[in-house]
Amino acid sequence: MEKIIISYIPVSGLIAWLDMGVNTKLMPERLNKVFRLIVIFTIGIGLSSVSNASAESQRSREYLIKAAFLYNFAKFVEWPAEAFKDGLDTLYLGVLGVDPFGDALDSIKDKTVKGKKLVIKRFTKIDDLEKCHILFISASERGNLRNILQSLNNSSVLTVSEMEKFAQLGGIINLITIENNIHFEINPDAAERAKLKISSHLLKLAKIVTSGSQRE
Amino acid sequence: MRGLNQKVLKSFTSCLPYIRMASCILLVASLMMIDRVGAGEPPRNLPPDLTKLSIEELMKIEVATVYGASKYEQKVIEAPSSVSVITADEIKKYGYRTLAEILRNARGFFVTYDRNYSYAGVRGFGRPGDYNTRILILVDGHRINDNIYDQALIGTEFPIDVDLINRVEIIRGPSSSLYGTSAFLAVINIITRSGQDLKDFKGVEASAEVASFETYKGRLSFGNQFKSGLEILLSGSYFKSHGKHHLYYGEFDAPATNFGIADNLDGDKFYNFLSKLSFHDFTLEGVFHSREKEIPTASFGTIFNDPRARTIDDRGYLDLKYDHTFSNQFNVIARLYYDNYYYNGDYPFDYPPITLFRDFAWGQWWGWELKITKTLFERHKLVIGGEFQDHFQQDQKNYDKDPYLLYLDDKRDSTVWALYLQDEFEIFKNLILNAGIRYDRYSTFGRSTNPRLALIYSPFEKTTFKLLYGTAFRAPNVYEFYYQGGGNKSNPDLKPERIQTHELVWEQYIGKHLRGTASVYHYKIKDLISQQTDPMDGLLVYNNVGKIEASGLELELEGKWVNGLKGRISYAIQQTKNKETGETLTNSPKHLAKFNLIAPVIKEKFFVGIEEQFTSKRKTLAGREADSFFVTNLTLFSQNFLKGLEISGSVYNLFNKKYSDLGSEEHVQDLILQDGRNYRVKITYRF
Repeated sequence: MEKIIISYIPVSGLIAWLDMGVNTKLMPERLNKVFRLIVIFTIGIGLSSVSNASAESQRSREYLIKAAFLYNFAKFVEWPAEAFKDGLDTLYLGVLGVDPFGDALDSIKDKTVKGKKLVIKRFTKIDDLEKCHILFISASERGNLRNILQSLNNSSVLTVSEMEKFAQLGGIINLITIENNIHFEINPDAAERAKLKISSHLLKLAKIVTSGSQRE
Repeated sequence: MRGLNQKVLKSFTSCLPYIRMASCILLVASLMMIDRVGAGEPPRNLPPDLTKLSIEELMKIEVATVYGASKYEQKVIEAPSSVSVITADEIKKYGYRTLAEILRNARGFFVTYDRNYSYAGVRGFGRPGDYNTRILILVDGHRINDNIYDQALIGTEFPIDVDLINRVEIIRGPSSSLYGTSAFLAVINIITRSGQDLKDFKGVEASAEVASFETYKGRLSFGNQFKSGLEILLSGSYFKSHGKHHLYYGEFDAPATNFGIADNLDGDKFYNFLSKLSFHDFTLEGVFHSREKEIPTASFGTIFNDPRARTIDDRGYLDLKYDHTFSNQFNVIARLYYDNYYYNGDYPFDYPPITLFRDFAWGQWWGWELKITKTLFERHKLVIGGEFQDHFQQDQKNYDKDPYLLYLDDKRDSTVWALYLQDEFEIFKNLILNAGIRYDRYSTFGRSTNPRLALIYSPFEKTTFKLLYGTAFRAPNVYEFYYQGGGNKSNPDLKPERIQTHELVWEQYIGKHLRGTASVYHYKIKDLISQQTDPMDGLLVYNNVGKIEASGLELELEGKWVNGLKGRISYAIQQTKNKETGETLTNSPKHLAKFNLIAPVIKEKFFVGIEEQFTSKRKTLAGREADSFFVTNLTLFSQNFLKGLEISGSVYNLFNKKYSDLGSEEHVQDLILQDGRNYRVKITYRF
């Protein structure tokens, strides 16, 4: 209910603005009634259908695919034995920052990878970070990237993201879009520093990237 | 005010059966759909369990994105415009030689070539002789239209080698709310390849082409990404075409004018250079292109079959960009640039006496742009930008060489300030309101403010509706303001042209492989700048007198399959009218249909690309009708038979159809015959 009320504020503001044809430089001719009616009708229909359905947009399609990629990365990466010291049969997948996946991660939640159950955890700040095997760093954390990678410093965490130059800056896997398809870049040096073994199958499909600036 | 409303309402309802019908369909469709989608149902065109797919299969699934519609990367589905994207892959497999050929295949576009420049028309608007001033062309966000004629250069005069294009985004409709002048009918954003692209093959790529009419082109490119993070792309191309040896023009068929045959006057050549350096957040791009074309048509009343007739266009720029994203989803892009443009046209006249008329234009400008993008309250993506341009040289000059007679020596300068704002408001996960506005201030004519509104609604994952409204303007250019001499006079009181567009778009993903688009639009142009003859002194002058109204419907179906099979079919119908005369516009085809298909013959190694274009009749300047025509192009493309080698063979106008484009005011010819069947072989090798 509140959604409908909240959305009518910008909508009525929009209509009021459209009505404001006084300044002729802003709008040479008054926007006519029929067009406005169409706009109101469309919004009305949209609102009523939205309250019933959980319709998914193109964005969630992309993240369903990326979630499947994360599941596959878990399949083709080997962690050192001590990474599972505390919980032999659980693989933790963390999301750091603003979560772009929405419901998409539910599609891989609780699935089993190589005998281990996939458990999803979400963190808003680097300080809250608990033990993870895979850490998806959201694009919202772009400004903090150096700090994040430094604090992870060679611990056996598979860092994955979807921001430009992530792999060059020391991340391990970066999801990129090339001509409408999702591909990924892998920085093998970063993987080695994290003591992770990436299957040759995955490496073959990836775009190999070297670190942009060597900082030890 | 009420009277005005009644009038507007009446004209709207009488002229827009399309939009009303389409909105009714939209309402009914929405009503029917309300109860059908339940919460938590999986999306229909992705398989229910993606984790069962292999990585290879995941990598083949489609997610379409575009940059230019909102000045940031966004999904085509969410862009506040009807967008088409043409990729580097398609450029290779369809054998496109120029940007003009790329546009010829886009839904709703038509291109005219008069043996000097190529002109693009869209949405039924493409007046003969208009220098593409109403289409904005950007390369990596940098404006290509010059500051004298505002010309969008699209043929061999386009400053970037087509091989260096990563993708072309065609953003239809008015976009002055983001880009200012020239974004009147469409914006074409060209994104170049990156140095990293070439790195896989140790960085050097060489290409050679041989084609009909003694045409040769060579290109050498070097790209790399160094350990330091520096990415570099350097490329140079050279093109030379002798052109048709003999071109016949019936209008000149007389003994004194070589019986209408222009001999060896279709020569075209260019050379260009591109360099792109990027280091962390900085990118420096430099381009220089010089093109010379011989003119065989004796345009502007020049002497027929005189080898001195030619035009030279040089275009160059340097663009430094800084792009940084801070924490809290705050992004800043700052740009500093310098541009120059040089034009020289040599026209031999027999007044009498026989002399050479030399026409020149020099343009130089620099500018900066600052753009800030911030996501507020999770649902608002806000863009705020400011631009400044200092056109410190806008000179035009012309004279007769011998005996020397100076007609025009005009030196101007001007400035432009602009501020723009856009908000992408995600009202719900499937309802977006995109509102933008831009304020431009020109030292020449004053101000222009242009809004754009888009409502983007996705009732299902596969379906999107867009309701769009926007205005755009085109600033009068230095040529229209001040050009005089030789029968022309200036008009410094010109105002900008304005267009107002309403549009309804439906984008639908069908099954796993198809994407359909249907769009219906209506636009009104007023204050169109047209050349008229002043009855007082008989001189030609530009005035704001045109009023144009048009509506149209466009349909397109696109398909992409996993094995590399790709195709597109489109149909556009448009009706344009000159409100002053009540007549259809010249060079405005009522129907345009296009079909493209890329079929893999040997998986990933050998492809066949077929194109079929249909253009319906067009009214010429003389009031006649240019015939409708079909053109077929065929390209055979192979890659990696030998590692790093690409070879292609193309046949253009396969069935050797005789077809003509329209001549403009400067031509005696009403129709200009285009090339018959011609060929090209191209080899590209990566070291």
